[in-house]
Amino acid sequence: MAEEFNTEGMLDMYLFENGQLLEQLQEIVLEQKDADGFDEESMNEIFRTMHTIKGSSGVMMFEGITALAHKLEDVFYYLRESHPEHVPHMELVTHVLDVADFISAEMEKLQNGESADGDPKKLIAGLDKFLASIKGETKKEKENIIKKNVHEEPTQFYLAPMYTEASHFYKIYLTYSEGIELANVHAYKAVYALKEMAEDVLYLPEDILTNEKSADEIMENGFKILLQAQCTEADIRAVIREGYELEKVEICECTPAEFGRGFDCFGSEIQITLDSAEKDVKEKEEKPKTRVEKPMAPGDFVIESKGPGKQKKLAKDKARKQEKASFISVDVNKMDMLMDLIGELVISESVVLQNPDLRVPGLKLDNFNKAAAQMAKISTDLQNVIMSMRMVPLTNTFQKMNRIVFDASRKLGKDVEFQMVGDTTEVDKNIIEHISDPLMHLVRNSVDHGIEENEERAKKGKKDKGKITLSAKTESGKVWIGVTDNGAGLDRKKILEKAKKQGLLDPTRDENTYSDKEVYQFITLPGFSTNDKVTELSGRGVGMDVVVSNLQAIGGSLEIESIPGVGSTMNMKIPLTLAIIDGIVMEVGDSSFVMETGIVKEFVGIRDNQIVQEPDGKEFVMIRGEGYPVLRVGEWYGMKNYHADTEDGMLVIIEVDKQIVCLLVDRLVGKQEIVVKPIPEYVKKVKGLSGCTQLGDGSIALIIDAAGLLE
Amino acid sequence: MGNTEEEGKEKEQQKYVTFQSGNEFFGIQIQYVNEIIVFQQITEIPECASYIKGLINLRGKIIPVVDVRLRFGKEEVPYNDRTCIIVLNVNGMVVGLIVEKIAEVVEIPDENIFPSPTIGKGDASHHVFVKSIGKIGNSVKLLLDPERLLNDEDVAAIEQMDTQKSAETGE
Repeated sequence: MAEEFNTEGMLDMYLFENGQLLEQLQEIVLEQKDADGFDEESMNEIFRTMHTIKGSSGVMMFEGITALAHKLEDVFYYLRESHPEHVPHMELVTHVLDVADFISAEMEKLQNGESADGDPKKLIAGLDKFLASIKGETKKEKENIIKKNVHEEPTQFYLAPMYTEASHFYKIYLTYSEGIELANVHAYKAVYALKEMAEDVLYLPEDILTNEKSADEIMENGFKILLQAQCTEADIRAVIREGYELEKVEICECTPAEFGRGFDCFGSEIQITLDSAEKDVKEKEEKPKTRVEKPMAPGDFVIESKGPGKQKKLAKDKARKQEKASFISVDVNKMDMLMDLIGELVISESVVLQNPDLRVPGLKLDNFNKAAAQMAKISTDLQNVIMSMRMVPLTNTFQKMNRIVFDASRKLGKDVEFQMVGDTTEVDKNIIEHISDPLMHLVRNSVDHGIEENEERAKKGKKDKGKITLSAKTESGKVWIGVTDNGAGLDRKKILEKAKKQGLLDPTRDENTYSDKEVYQFITLPGFSTNDKVTELSGRGVGMDVVVSNLQAIGGSLEIESIPGVGSTMNMKIPLTLAIIDGIVMEVGDSSFVMETGIVKEFVGIRDNQIVQEPDGKEFVMIRGEGYPVLRVGEWYGMKNYHADTEDGMLVIIEVDKQIVCLLVDRLVGKQEIVVKPIPEYVKKVKGLSGCTQLGDGSIALIIDAAGLLE
Repeated sequence: MGNTEEEGKEKEQQKYVTFQSGNEFFGIQIQYVNEIIVFQQITEIPECASYIKGLINLRGKIIPVVDVRLRFGKEEVPYNDRTCIIVLNVNGMVVGLIVEKIAEVVEIPDENIFPSPTIGKGDASHHVFVKSIGKIGNSVKLLLDPERLLNDEDVAAIEQMDTQKSAETGE
């Protein structure tokens, strides 16, 4: 039982970690998809990712994933080590994404309790072909191959190094003079010199630059180098000369097979060569032999690759790991529970602090009040922390869209650029879950319908590339997520025609009386598509209506703006449930209302004579020579006990969408950070209210959604 | 073991929380009842059905409350210290039910439960909410269908109107 539980935990961890790795991988790949090739760092990163996935999948015995990851790792190993030119970058990107997709799919199967039974043979064959093709290219150019940063690669132990017939393999053994300081630096100098002419260099101890103790080890055991190069022994000797610090340089050629085995071939060989030489060296040699073998034990390479093998990258690697370790995934239910409990705590706090028992005349409460203030501070902090815990930046969601743009644009043969604006906008986690599907639809639509074909763009004289911009911002208590393209824009005429055909138009209305907004709204109806051809991506008329219904489910809406020939923008307006907003609390009658601070311009106390009433009952107020419409909140909502007298109330001047409105409320209470909670579904949507919140004393205030109020 | 569990469940299903409204006693199956709390401050919500009295803060959770008298179409009575709120959980929807007086929790075996008598088809006043009638000795409890109480056609109609309205304003 216990064991079973254990493997389950392992699977969870496996899925979680690899999921993150794959996300990172996609990010890297897409970041550089438009470049001519991956830079060194990303190549290393992709290599490492594949390596880790291979390792952990091996442990979990998911053979398909292991094999595939291994193959991709091979490809990147080759790319990294041999720097072949003319790598078809797009093809490579596709391969990497295919592999990522395959692994993601397998992981999803695992998550659903199925077995990872996908067959990666096709993908592996594809990679093989790709690898062969780039290898073929480079053979011709082998003269130009210069190796860099090879020393960072301990994983070569189990991979056959690439070599050509002209390559020679050497084992070099350096002994430093006794009493030399910083032998590790000297050793690095030698390695550095060799790298100039080497195709591959391995050395032991590996951590000469990062580990000062390696100096002692070198002094004790000597410094061993495995070199693959197209040079002769004399060349090497020319580079590494015996001198005052270098007591002895031993070089012997070996076979590629031996080279491939790594340092364990060292022991025996050196022993033989040393037999005639210094016997004490041989004795010392025995020790490292056992040490050296360790990293090469089969199956150990996973750990080893993260071990002390990567000098320069090591520091960076560690930092990354720490960063990862500082995140844990928590069950959302537990967080909800915590939040409810904190809510209760706040209420009971106010019950204690404002307890009627304390109101005894003459009671000295100085110390109590001090302690109470401290406690209030802590509970406020606590509340803020739990709120911020639920907030997640949109970056990841947007990043995924990048992938969709990439896939869709390739499929359609369009050049499309992708841009993100405001992706760090934080949104409640459950909102993110709800918007990724609609967002995906919108992005696909924009690539498919919005952006024109390359030739068409050229014909129209549009010089810039097709571009999809994802933007996010918070405004008046809502999150706005926009998908903007610089394509053709919506065709009003076409939409109207189609709407007419489907009988959606009001026959009594003139076509021209429909506003653009109304016309564009047609495309959100089920079964409505202006794309004449049904493509793999869109055109079936499902999509927009799904988007709208998904958004409506979470209380959001979709706004469409479009300028013919310039492009269109789809704006999703989503409520910020559970978000914290800075609000002004005010009272009308027996109820409290909250309004977002950002939209409030000013508060004014006014006299009756400043209010002007139009014959139809509409009122406006003259302030500093400007007339603004007045809305009496109490009257508007038909409330009881509100102050009917204007002079008793307070005028709150708000600005929404460049429109200025004055709300007449009874009393201002104060400014407060509030937690937006949705109004329970049971209560149907009320105009102008976007949610509710709990005030410090436990009472409930309704949040006024100014934009909704104006509609 | 499965048997006793089932039996226990059955017994649970036969338990009803009863409350008094006017002269009648009503019962709600105990499985729908989360808890019973004393009356507390209600925040009114403008522009919604009159029987939805507003929102209360139930330990950090904001839930709507419904006045059962208004729901039944009777006139409102002032709340007093006997007024209670029964917190119902119907298919995940948590709603408070304001009742004048809580009576007791009773067990009504299935054989004592009868469909409510009707006079023709037009008699629909209580009928919408009352699922059946439970007999205990000589007294009668009207057993409510909580789902209908919260979610009947009435609400559906309002909802429909609302969506239509919002669709119109949305355009």
